[in-house]
Amino acid sequence: MPLFPRSNAAGTNDSAAASSSGARPRLRKTAFVAAAAAVVMALSACGGGATAQKDGGPVELRFSWWGSDKRAQVTQAAIAAFEAENPNIKIKPEYGDWSGYWDKLATQVAANDAPDIIQMDEKYITEYSTRGALLDLSKYSIDTSKLDEAALNAGKGEKGLTGIAAGINAATILANPAVFKAAGVALPDDKTWTWDDFERISAEVTANSPKGTYGAAAYGTDEASLGVWLRQNGKTLYTSDGKLGFEPSDIAEWWANLKELSEKKAVPTASEVVEAEAAPLDQSGLATGKNGLAFWWSNQLPALEKAAGSELQILRFPSTTGKAADAQLWYKASQFWSASSRTKHPEETAKFINFLANSEKAGQALLADRGVYPNSDVRAAIESKLTPADIKVVKFIDQIKDELGEAPAPPPKGAGAIQEIVKRYTSEVLFNRLSTDDAGKKAVDEMKSAIS
Amino acid sequence: MSAIGELTTLKRRKGPLSAAEKKANGRDNKAAYIFLLPWLVGLVAITIGPMLMSLYLSFTDYNLLQPPEWTGLDNFVRMFSDARLHNSLGVTFTYVFVGVPLQLGVALLIALVLDKGLRGLPFYRSVFYLPSLLGGSVAVAILWKQIFGTTGLVNQALALVGIEGPGWISDPSTALGSIVLLHVWTFGAPMIIFLAGLRQIPVMYYEAAKVDGASTLQQFWRITLPMLSPIIFFNLVLQIIGSFQSFTQAFIVSGGNGGPSDSTMFFTLYLYQKGFGQFDMGYASAMAWFLLVIIGVFTAINFIAAKYWVFYDD
Repeated sequence: MPLFPRSNAAGTNDSAAASSSGARPRLRKTAFVAAAAAVVMALSACGGGATAQKDGGPVELRFSWWGSDKRAQVTQAAIAAFEAENPNIKIKPEYGDWSGYWDKLATQVAANDAPDIIQMDEKYITEYSTRGALLDLSKYSIDTSKLDEAALNAGKGEKGLTGIAAGINAATILANPAVFKAAGVALPDDKTWTWDDFERISAEVTANSPKGTYGAAAYGTDEASLGVWLRQNGKTLYTSDGKLGFEPSDIAEWWANLKELSEKKAVPTASEVVEAEAAPLDQSGLATGKNGLAFWWSNQLPALEKAAGSELQILRFPSTTGKAADAQLWYKASQFWSASSRTKHPEETAKFINFLANSEKAGQALLADRGVYPNSDVRAAIESKLTPADIKVVKFIDQIKDELGEAPAPPPKGAGAIQEIVKRYTSEVLFNRLSTDDAGKKAVDEMKSAIS
Repeated sequence: MSAIGELTTLKRRKGPLSAAEKKANGRDNKAAYIFLLPWLVGLVAITIGPMLMSLYLSFTDYNLLQPPEWTGLDNFVRMFSDARLHNSLGVTFTYVFVGVPLQLGVALLIALVLDKGLRGLPFYRSVFYLPSLLGGSVAVAILWKQIFGTTGLVNQALALVGIEGPGWISDPSTALGSIVLLHVWTFGAPMIIFLAGLRQIPVMYYEAAKVDGASTLQQFWRITLPMLSPIIFFNLVLQIIGSFQSFTQAFIVSGGNGGPSDSTMFFTLYLYQKGFGQFDMGYASAMAWFLLVIIGVFTAINFIAAKYWVFYDD
């Protein structure tokens, strides 16, 4: 049966269409007008929102960062302090997790929609600055006279000063004393401990803890701990001319040590390691009491203590020799304040960055969340405001001052991909899918092509 | 009815149109195009424009931050030697060729059960359809992650009977299987279509078969399957195209990195990582066009094969 029956009704319609053709044109005109109106309405609906900014009117700046809830709170407080001083400038925050932050930023920059103020990391700053996405801040009025020199230099590159260090931190091992106490194991002496001690102590904690609790978190989820290991063995992550500073055999050794830790049950199983990678800070093994020791940056201690609900302790990395001076730690710019090179309001943007870096009011809001303040005046002014957790961080940074190794070379362009490569091959090794030697070769090949 | 009437008149008219009629037709068309304009603008600006742009980008080296540079076929040549891309193709093919038949099989089975006229059918239909609405969502992918975690619901249940389950989604040997399972679980959409198809099969065929002494199984093979084949074909085409493009589930379950050890690195996920994670948008665009070709080829194969097994009753 056909879909549309062709009955004789078609014949009758034929004549009807002919007779009504006189009335048609007016109807068509109405249709025409209606359609035009619909289009105009649809188009104007799309175009709303874009209002021109008048001179002297309020300026709105967008400011994006990654980090925990605690960071969001303190940063909002700093923004409020700035807005109170500068009623003509509005700061619109955009924040999220580390993992989604970089995808979003890349997309925004490509779409010519980058935030005015960008929290930057050393892994990506070369990538963005050499490609012209960041503003040279030395051309604007930002006072750098009080900033720590090493921290200031970390933000300099071939395109000028594209980042102002927001804080100083160091790679550390954080310990959860509650886990140690429950296991009846004494906390290690971090001035003398070696990697062998690390293994022994961690295995002991695991053995004396309930199932699912381990002495230490596994390393290998980022390149910072690899950097420490390499430095202790006379190598570096990168060379000053932007190449890899180590051989496949070096990273293979690092993984061999991890495998040993895993076999001794000092660290969680491969599956648990993979799961832990994806967990946000407040659900990490250290914060939930599942790990006795874990690898974190010093500035993350306050947020972790808050999540854990108990005190944590900062430890130096173990060394190969048992001497703290051989731990080869370094001061890192925890993150940078950068500005988009395409910002429409570079003056106001610089003003805000200047406020963040040099104002006591900003310091009182931010405290040590992004690391120890690089501005010595601010650091002194906020000392009395610091929480006990912050004080621990500041003290630690101070204590290791004379033990530091040479400042590492800045990560080259493409270094943002290294973390993912390290992580992937770490799980290949932990799941016994690749030997440490093969993983070393493959990983180094991939890393070389990523930063070439 | 009048519109259809007009349509048939147009078809039946012989000989050239008069000038007045042509003018009237032209005006009709103009009004139609103006009505279409909002949609047309969307199609060009949101679909065709970006597609052409990505076609152009696929021949360039484009790092998102600087203007693209023409590199010809370079991106496509690179795909030949990219081991991770080959792995991602393997993962995607496994997902499609295991997940789709399983999902359609389950969908058909449940549809057959529901077709038997259960009491409270609308309720069951809704219950079984629900996962289809939820399955692609971020929330369910997160839930999946919890259920199949090392200390998740599945392993807790297994522990009750004394089995220590692996970390389903964190172990490279079972991670993809867990995502396939999530896909199978969303069988609701094809099930509804199967159910509608089953309702279309005239009862008289079954009655005649019963009179001739055919068993239930014979009825299924000789009547249900052939009569349902156009619907099966429809579901197959849709699901294969959709599965090749699936992204969300793997992205969420693996935390965005296709891990562990690239075992859930879908082609689309790798494309995303290349484009947005590693600033290699030219290569990512080339991958997107490659995926389009793959999907095109499989859809064509589907249509050619359909001639041999799909039965149209008309």
